[in-house]
Amino acid sequence: MKYKRQSRSRKPFSLLVRLIVTGSAAVTAIILVSMIGYILYHGIPNLTMKGLFDWRYTSQNVSMMPAIINTAIMTFLSLTLAVPIGVFAAIYLVEYAKRGNKFVKVIRTAAETLAAIPSIVYGLFGYILFVITLKWGYTLLSGAITLAVMILPLIMRTTEEALMSVPDSYREGSFGLGAGKLRTVFRIIIPPAMPGIAGGIILAIGRIVGESAALIFTAGTNPAVPDSLFASTRTLSVHMYALLTEGLYEEQAYATAVVLLVLVIGINSLSKHVAGRFTNVKRGG
Amino acid sequence: MKNYSERIMKFIFAMSAAASTVAVAIICIFLVYKGVPAIREIGLGDFLLGSTWKPTEGEFGIFPMIVGSIYVTAGAMVLGVPVGVLCAVFMARFCPRGLYKIFKPAVELLAGIPSIVYGFFGLMVIVPLMQNVIGGSGKSVLTASVLLAIMILPTVISVAESALRAVPESYYEGSLALGATHERSVFFTVIPAAKSGILAGVILGIGRAIGETMAVVMVAGNQAAVPTSLMSGVRTMTANIVLEMGYAGEGLHRNALIATAVVLFVFILIINLSFSMLKREG
Amino acid sequence: MKKAAVLILTLILAVLQAGCAARQDDRINVISREAGSGTRDAFTELTGIKKDGTDNTVMTSEITSSTFVVIKSVSVDKNAIGYASLGTLSDNVKALSIDGIKPTAENIKNRTYPLIRTFNIIDTGALSRQAEDFVQYIMSSQGAEIIEGQGYVPFAQGQEYHIKEDMEGRIVIAGSTSVAPLIDVIADEYKKIYPDVEIEIQQTGSGAGITSTIEGACDLGISSRELKEEERLKGARETTVALDGIVVIVNLQNTTDGLSTEEVRQIFTGKRKAWKS
Repeated sequence: MKYKRQSRSRKPFSLLVRLIVTGSAAVTAIILVSMIGYILYHGIPNLTMKGLFDWRYTSQNVSMMPAIINTAIMTFLSLTLAVPIGVFAAIYLVEYAKRGNKFVKVIRTAAETLAAIPSIVYGLFGYILFVITLKWGYTLLSGAITLAVMILPLIMRTTEEALMSVPDSYREGSFGLGAGKLRTVFRIIIPPAMPGIAGGIILAIGRIVGESAALIFTAGTNPAVPDSLFASTRTLSVHMYALLTEGLYEEQAYATAVVLLVLVIGINSLSKHVAGRFTNVKRGG
Repeated sequence: MKNYSERIMKFIFAMSAAASTVAVAIICIFLVYKGVPAIREIGLGDFLLGSTWKPTEGEFGIFPMIVGSIYVTAGAMVLGVPVGVLCAVFMARFCPRGLYKIFKPAVELLAGIPSIVYGFFGLMVIVPLMQNVIGGSGKSVLTASVLLAIMILPTVISVAESALRAVPESYYEGSLALGATHERSVFFTVIPAAKSGILAGVILGIGRAIGETMAVVMVAGNQAAVPTSLMSGVRTMTANIVLEMGYAGEGLHRNALIATAVVLFVFILIINLSFSMLKREG
Repeated sequence: MKKAAVLILTLILAVLQAGCAARQDDRINVISREAGSGTRDAFTELTGIKKDGTDNTVMTSEITSSTFVVIKSVSVDKNAIGYASLGTLSDNVKALSIDGIKPTAENIKNRTYPLIRTFNIIDTGALSRQAEDFVQYIMSSQGAEIIEGQGYVPFAQGQEYHIKEDMEGRIVIAGSTSVAPLIDVIADEYKKIYPDVEIEIQQTGSGAGITSTIEGACDLGISSRELKEEERLKGARETTVALDGIVVIVNLQNTTDGLSTEEVRQIFTGKRKAWKS
C-alpha cells in the first residue's frame, strides 16, 4: 500500500478507474443510507404509538411485543434442534472421517444443496409435511423444525471452519499425553474453536430473525405467545408481513421495520465482537 | 468402558453428519413424489412450455414464470454485479483504513436486512420512483431487478472482496515494478487473478436472486404472462408458489405448485453444480 | 470494461425509450387478487367476469395477495384500478359508484349496491363447546353491535348472548384475510368475557381456510365468499355473519367517479384498455 502515493497518476485510464470504483462504492453507500434513513425517518415517530409494546396483542393496539417474544422462542427452539446436530456433524467431518472418504463427499454435497434451497421451498415442504400430512396444523414446532433444517448447513460449515483452524499440534499434544479421541475433541479442540462456532450460531440467528417465507405456512400468523409446541406463533418478520396483508396498519409496519433493523444491527455487531475474539485466539495459538 | 463411550459418540457424530443428507433426501423425495405425478398429469410440454396459468380452470403452464425468474435474475446480475465487483475492488484496494471500518459493517448490515423489509422499501420507494421516472405502474421486470440487485450486493461484494484479498501481494508488486500505475496493476493483474473467486460470488448471487420470494412478490406485479418489455410486470416461480400455496387444496393445483418448486430446485442444482465445478478449478 | 459500459449505456437508453412510450398513454392498469382469494371470487362472480366457471380476468392484470399492495398501488398510480373490501378502505384512494350507487354502509344495508358479498363462518358440524359458543356470540345482538361498529353490516340482528360458566380452551380459526380483522375484534371482546379461552386466527385466504376446516386443521374457517358445491359435498357448511361491499377503487387524480357493472367487466376482462374511451 505504501507504493500507492507514488503511483497516483493523472493518466485518463487511472482517473476513469478511480471514478468508477469510487462511484460503485458510493452507490452502495447511498442505497444503504437512503434505505435505513427512510425506514428510521418514517418508523421512529410511530414507535411511540399507544400500546405498540403491550404484552398482549389486540386488534386495537397491534402490539409487536408477542412477536418479539415469539422470535426469541423460535430462535431458541430452532437452535436447540440444529446446533447439536450441526456441531456434531462438523466434528465427524473434521476429526473422524478420513480424508477423501466417499461418505464425506456425499455429506458435503448434501449440505451445499441444503444451503442453496430457497426458503419458499422450505416453507412449501414444511407446510405439506408437518401441517398437512402429519396434521400438526400451523405450529411452533412445524416452524422450528423447518428453520432448523434451513440453518443446519450454515452451522455445519462455520463449525467445520472453526475446527479446522485449530492447529494439529493441539491434537498431537493431547494424544501424546494419552488422552482419548473424545476427550481431545471436547477438552482440547472445541474450546479454542468456540468463538468460531458462536459466530456461526449468530449468523444463524440472523437468518431466523429475517425469515418470513418459510414460516408463514408452517408456524402460521397467530399474534400470541404460544403456550405449547403445538400452538401457532408469529415472529417479527411474519408480523410485518401480516400487518401488510390487510393494509390497515401501515404505521405499525414502519415501526416493526425499525425494530427489525435494530435487531439486525445488534446481531451483526455481536458477531463482529465474537469474530474479533476468534481471530485473537487464532493468532494466540 | 471408555472404549464404549468413544464408539457411541463416534456413532452419534456420524449420525449427525448423515442428518443433512437425510434432510436433502427427504426434501427431494417429497418434491419428486408430489411433483412428478403432477407434471405427468399435466404433460411435461404443457407444464414447462404452456403459457397459460389458470389453475382454477385446469391450465398449468409455468413458462411465463420460468422466463420471469430468468429475466429478473439476469436483470439483477446486469445491475448488481458491476456495482458489487467494483465496490469489492474499492474495499480491497482503494479504501482508506478509516472508511473501511465503517464500510465493511455497512455492507454486512445490507446482508442482514430481512427480505420483507426490502420488499416494503421497494413498494414504498422504488415503485413510485419508477412510476415517476418511467411511467406505467412502476411494478416491472426492471423494478424487481433493481431491488434484487440491491439484495445480492452484499453477497457479491463479500465473496469478491475475499477473492481479491487472497491474491498474493507479489502479483501487485510485480506489476508496479514493471512501471504500471496502481489502477492498472489492480485491474490487469489482481482482478484477473481473482477471477474464479469473483465468479463464485456472482453464482452465489444468482442463487440468492432466483430464490428470493417475499421482496419480489411485492414489487413485480405478478402477472402470469410472459413479459414483453422491461416495463411489463412479471411473476417469478417463487412468487407463483407463495401467492397460491395457502389456497391450493389437495389435488392437482397444490401438486402443480410443488412441481414449480421442482423446476426451481433443478435450477438451483444447476447453479450449485457450476459453483462446485468452479471451486474445483479454482 | 468497455463492453460493460456499452451494455449499461444501451440499457439506460432502452429504459428511457420505453419510458417515453409509456408516459403518453392512459392505459388502464388493472390490479387483481390471487386465485383463491375470496374477494376475487366474489368480485368476479358479482360482475360477471367469471362466466360458466371460467374466470376471464385479463392475463396482464397485476396480481397480489395483499390488500395493502392493492391500495398502495392504486394510491400512487393514476391509471390503476383495483378492488378491496369496504372495511379496509382508506381515504388515499377514490371509491367508485357502481351503476350510480355509492358504496356506503347504508346502501349495503338496503342492498342497493350491486357488489355485495357475505362474510361466512365455515364448519363441518363437529364443533368443540367453545367454538360453538363463539359462533353463538358472533351471531348474537352483541356480536351484531361490534360488526356494525367496524363498518360492516350484520347479516342478522340475533338474540342476546348470555354468559356461560367455565368456558375455556382453544379455538383455531383460519381463512380470509378480509374477514380476519373483523373476527379479530370480536375475538378480543369475547376473550374479555372468557379470559381462559385462546383464539388463534390464521390469515391464509378464504380457500385455504375452507380447505383447512374440511381437513380438520382448524376449528372454524372464515370466508369472504360462498361455499362451492364440491366444498359442501366434503361436509363444509356456512353461517353468514355479515355483509360487505367490494369497492372498486381508483387513484384520487382519476376523473372517473362511477362505472357501470358492464364497464367494470369490460375493464377487468381486458376489453376496454384506456380510461378515455
